[in-house]
Amino acid sequence: MLNRLYQLLLIFLIFSGCSILKPADSLENPASLNPDSEIAALLNAYRPGVDAVMDKPIAVVKDTLRFDKPESALGNMAADALRFRAALELRKFVHLGIIGEGSFKTYLIPGTLTLGDVYEFMPYENHLVILQLKGDQVIELIDQVASVGGAPVSGARFRIDADNRARGLLVNAEVVDLNKEYLVATSSWAANGGDQFPALWNAAGRIDLDLSVKDLYVDFFQGRSELYNETDGRIR
Amino acid sequence: MTISRKEFLRRTALFAAGSVLPLGTVSASSGLLRSDEITILYTNDTHARLDPFPKNAKEFAGLGGIARRASLIKRIRDLQKNVLLLDAGDVFHGSTWFEVYGGSVDFKLMTEMNYDAMAIGNHEFDRGPDGFADAAGHAGFPFLAANYIVRNTPMAPFVQRQIVKEFDGFKMGIFGLGIEFDGVIDRSLTGSIRAADPIRNAAQITGYLKNSLQCDYIICLSHLGYHYSDARVDDYDIAHSVDDIDLIIGGHTHTFLDTPTVVQKESGKRVYITQMGHGGVRLGRIDLNNLGVTSDYNLHAQYYTIGEEE
Repeated sequence: MLNRLYQLLLIFLIFSGCSILKPADSLENPASLNPDSEIAALLNAYRPGVDAVMDKPIAVVKDTLRFDKPESALGNMAADALRFRAALELRKFVHLGIIGEGSFKTYLIPGTLTLGDVYEFMPYENHLVILQLKGDQVIELIDQVASVGGAPVSGARFRIDADNRARGLLVNAEVVDLNKEYLVATSSWAANGGDQFPALWNAAGRIDLDLSVKDLYVDFFQGRSELYNETDGRIR
Repeated sequence: MTISRKEFLRRTALFAAGSVLPLGTVSASSGLLRSDEITILYTNDTHARLDPFPKNAKEFAGLGGIARRASLIKRIRDLQKNVLLLDAGDVFHGSTWFEVYGGSVDFKLMTEMNYDAMAIGNHEFDRGPDGFADAAGHAGFPFLAANYIVRNTPMAPFVQRQIVKEFDGFKMGIFGLGIEFDGVIDRSLTGSIRAADPIRNAAQITGYLKNSLQCDYIICLSHLGYHYSDARVDDYDIAHSVDDIDLIIGGHTHTFLDTPTVVQKESGKRVYITQMGHGGVRLGRIDLNNLGVTSDYNLHAQYYTIGEEE
C-alpha cells in the first residue's frame, strides 16, 4: 500500500514538476536515470570478452598528453609515428609526416595505456599513405598548417608570425628546394581530402601501404614504452 | 454524413499541415498511456558506443551509453502507449566492442530494448555480407533498405524494403534507404549486393505504402546523409523529390539537428528531416499528438542528451 502511494506520488511529481514547458520534459532529467539494470547486466556478461583483448598494456603515460597549438608532445608523436613507420616500410628517407588532430578522438591520461585506449585514440580504419610533393607544394602545405595555428607535423621546423604565416621553414634542417621531390607520410583520410590540408590533394605520386594507422600507433607507443609531455619547439 | 476513421485522419493531417506547432512551444501535458498519440524514438550512427564515451574523450566525455538509453526508453514506454523505436544505421564500428563482437552484442541489446527496425549504414558492410549476417542473426528486428538488392546473398534473410506498424487503426509505413557504394564502401565488402537509385526506389515504395497499404504516415529511415553541397543524393533530395514522406530520420553525416529541418513542398506538404549526431549521445523523440481526436494533429520534436550533467 505504501509502495503504491509512493508510486502515485512519483507520478504526480513527474507530471507536476517539469511539464510546464514541454510535454516530454515531464520525464525526469535523463542524467538522473540509472543505467537499465537488465541491459547493464547483459553488457557486463559480454564485457570480459572485450577486456581479455583490449586490456593488453601497450605503454605507460607519464603526463597528461593533449593536442595543442602550435605544437604538443602528443601531436609531435602522432606525426613522427607516421613518418618513421613510412621510412621503415619504404626503406627510404621520408621527409615529412602530417595528420590532422581531428583524426584522434581522445587525449592520453597518466597510467597504463592499453590496446583499447589506443583504439579509442585512433578508432578509424585508415591506412598509411606516402605522397610525393614538389618543394612549392611543401611550402604551401606548411603555410596551411600555419594558417590553422599549427598541426601535428614531423620533419619540419618553423615559426608562425602574427599573420598566421610560416616563417623560417626548414625541412630536415634544410631550406626547401622548390625543384626537389619530397615524401610526405600521412593517413589515407588526410590524403583523400579528409583533413584541412588541400596541399596534399594534388600529389605528383602516391603510395598506399596495406598498414592500418591504428595498428601503426599501437606499434609506435609500444616502442616508446613511456610517454612524456616533452616538445621540441618544431613549431614556435 | 459519416467519414471513415482513415478519411478523418487524412483530413486532419491536411489541416494540420498548415498549423503544426512551432517546435518547442507550450502544449499541455497528457495523461498516462494516450492512445491518440504516437511517440517515435530514434537513434543513428551509434557506432558500437555501448559504454558512455571515455572520460578522456575530446568530445562527449561521459555521455551516451546503451544502458542509460534503455532506462530512458523504458520510462517513456511507461508513459506512452504507442511507441516506435528506430535506428538510422551505422551500429557497426567505432569502439572495442565492435572489434571483438562485430556488432552482435549491439543487436542483442537493441532487441532487448524492442527496436522496431533499423536502416543499413555503410559500416554495416565493414565485415562483408557474411559478417553482417553473423551479427544480424542476433537481431529480433528487420533491417530496412528499399534500394539495396540483396537477393541470393547472406544478407537476404534480414533485409526488408518496408514494414507497417498499426497503432489503434493509424498505419505507419516505414522504409529504409542505404547510401550508394561508390566512394563510400570498399567493393570487396559488398559482395553481390547492389545499391539502386534511392530516389526512384523511395518514390516507388512510398506509392506502395500510401496507395496499396493505405498508410496514414510514412517514415523514411535514411542512411544517405543530411545535406551535401555536391551531387550526392541526400535527405533534402529525398524530401524534395519524393511525394508522401512525412518524416525522414537520417544518419551518416553525424549531424546534430537540435530541431528538425522542415522542407515545405509545392503541394503545401511539410516534410521533417531529423538526425541525432552519433555515438548514442542523444535520443530523438517526435510525438504525433491528437491523432483523430480533435481537428488538429501536432508534431512535437525534442531530444534527450544521455548522461548529461545538470
